Amino acid sequence: MSIQIQNIRKSFGDFVALKDVSFKVETGELVALLGPSGSGKTTLLRIIAGIEAPDGNDGAILIHNADTTAISFRDRRVGFVFQHYALFRHMTIFENVAFGLRVRPRRLRPSEKVIKEKVNELLKLVQLDWLGDRYPSQLSGGQRQRIALARALAVEPSVLLLDEPFGSLDAKVRKELRLWLRRFHDELKITSVFVTHDQEEALEVADRVVLMNEGRVEQVGTSEEVYHHPANAFVYNFLGNVNLFHSRVEEGKAFLGEMPIDLPAESARDAKSAMVFVRPHSLEIEHERNGGDNFRAKVSHINAAGPLVRVDLMTDWGDPVHVEISHGRYSSLGLKREDEVFIRPRERKVFVERETGTDESKT
Amino acid sequence: MLMAMIAANNGNSRNGTGGLAEPPWLRLVLISSTLLFLGLFLVLPLIVVFTEAFKKGVEVYIESVREPDAAAAIRLTLTAAAIAVPLNLIFGVAAAWAIAKFQFPGKSFLVTLIDLPFSVSPVISGLIFVLLFGLQGWLGPWLSDHDIKIIFAVPGIVLATIFVTFPFVARELIPLMQSQGSDEEEAARTLGAGGWQTLWRVTLPNVKWGLLYGVILCNARAMGEFGAVSVVSGHIRGYTNTIPLHAEILYNEYNSTAAFAMASLLTILTLVTIALKAFIDRKSRSEVRAVSKRMLTEG
Repeated sequence: MSIQIQNIRKSFGDFVALKDVSFKVETGELVALLGPSGSGKTTLLRIIAGIEAPDGNDGAILIHNADTTAISFRDRRVGFVFQHYALFRHMTIFENVAFGLRVRPRRLRPSEKVIKEKVNELLKLVQLDWLGDRYPSQLSGGQRQRIALARALAVEPSVLLLDEPFGSLDAKVRKELRLWLRRFHDELKITSVFVTHDQEEALEVADRVVLMNEGRVEQVGTSEEVYHHPANAFVYNFLGNVNLFHSRVEEGKAFLGEMPIDLPAESARDAKSAMVFVRPHSLEIEHERNGGDNFRAKVSHINAAGPLVRVDLMTDWGDPVHVEISHGRYSSLGLKREDEVFIRPRERKVFVERETGTDESKT
Repeated sequence: MLMAMIAANNGNSRNGTGGLAEPPWLRLVLISSTLLFLGLFLVLPLIVVFTEAFKKGVEVYIESVREPDAAAAIRLTLTAAAIAVPLNLIFGVAAAWAIAKFQFPGKSFLVTLIDLPFSVSPVISGLIFVLLFGLQGWLGPWLSDHDIKIIFAVPGIVLATIFVTFPFVARELIPLMQSQGSDEEEAARTLGAGGWQTLWRVTLPNVKWGLLYGVILCNARAMGEFGAVSVVSGHIRGYTNTIPLHAEILYNEYNSTAAFAMASLLTILTLVTIALKAFIDRKSRSEVRAVSKRMLTEG
């Protein structure tokens, strides 16, 4: 079942949480809503679920092409997994999962035998059928997360919504659980949307990523698309580690220290300033000023633990630079703290601030 | 007993926190002053109440409790509590639910309003009802035209009791519900539960011990209230006297055995309340303990 989000707006008092958001989630897709805190992603998820109502009359949520804006929870059939799981603390795990079946109107309520079968089946599905008579407080975070998922699935939802599903777990459990969720989704093929602020999580798990910032959708695309072809400065900055340099523009060229960067002719004329983005692994450290396609920096910190050597440097003009190089390169350079070196960007992305707006160019 | 406690403490401190423990003389002073205070202000009066009540023997005690005016006072107290407690239970749950789970303008004003009976002297509360429903009061002429009697009658006593016991249940529930948040209610709604189902299956079970505790406190105050009830009662023997009012009348008549017999009834109520409170505390704590114990044994 597809989910179509149309012109959704929402304000809380003076705070505008969502500014006219529209996009579509296709049937069977696993989509991540990714953005910093306060970007409106959780509010959007709650509006899709029907927990919050959008402002105004022109906004609509269409599930399987049917407008659900005026439909109650009961008939919406949306599975929602809360950030802190919201398991019923006074009920056993079995009763938690059975809840959605027990509260059905009498004529639709399954018999006790059917409920029992169904719940046990769901507990097996999340691989926790041995926990049925425990209480939520006796479970670990990862187990609670899976029970919350089983409980949401008990009502046979047409779409599944997860709010920061791995937010309150420690790093190792997070990694395991997100791979598990991906496999789980591939088995069930239920249209799912999850909210996260962790870009690694979104890029790894989701079919497509919806990037949100300040109540707007910045970009929608597959992991590869948004990572390699970011639509704007925000997306570039938000996805992955990146060095950002604010550079002055003189005579149609941006300058990183002494190093000039050509700007595209059409934006060069009225450019005010430029933002230069370079990923840490696209920077080369050299001892010599070969040519001049580089700028000067001083090594301030070296961390050689891990698959790559991470070097922190400081430019002449006081910007910090973060560089990742291989161990082989590191030993051939013989880097030490306080070394004066030159940095050459192999690949960079420039966003030009013009009098009329922001433009991009890649060189 | 005192020395044994101190000895036990010494034993503990040697095993564990020896370096940080207070010197024995300080502990002796603290513990003995606490016990002295408790004995003087709590245990001694308790003993006095029962020795005075039974001074002339069990038969006299039973006689003074069964005497018609006393029996009427007991009946009236039970009636007032039987009306006030359920009403304030319903009100308290509704108010706590509204305040803890929803955002609306005027919320903090409502919280202040609920606390009003705590901050107003009970005598003033009684006077408010006299000024409102009394013969010379705002609604007095209309009420007497329709032959409705509230002040110096049972309805006034019930009203005053409701007013002074108003905050107990709500006060107990609001912080509890606020700390629990509304996540579980939202989860219940997304799973298809209606408003009533959510209340009965999720909200109330989560606060049951707090609710019970609020009801017990509410009941204790409803039966023991003196000031507000005294103003609206008119002290008509056998008709508008509650247990505390009757005890005062008897005492003023130098009938101290009967007065203390009445007082002993309220004291018994207090002891029952304390016992129930301890039971509830143990019950809610043992639930937590059972949970953690099972976690330990089953890993």
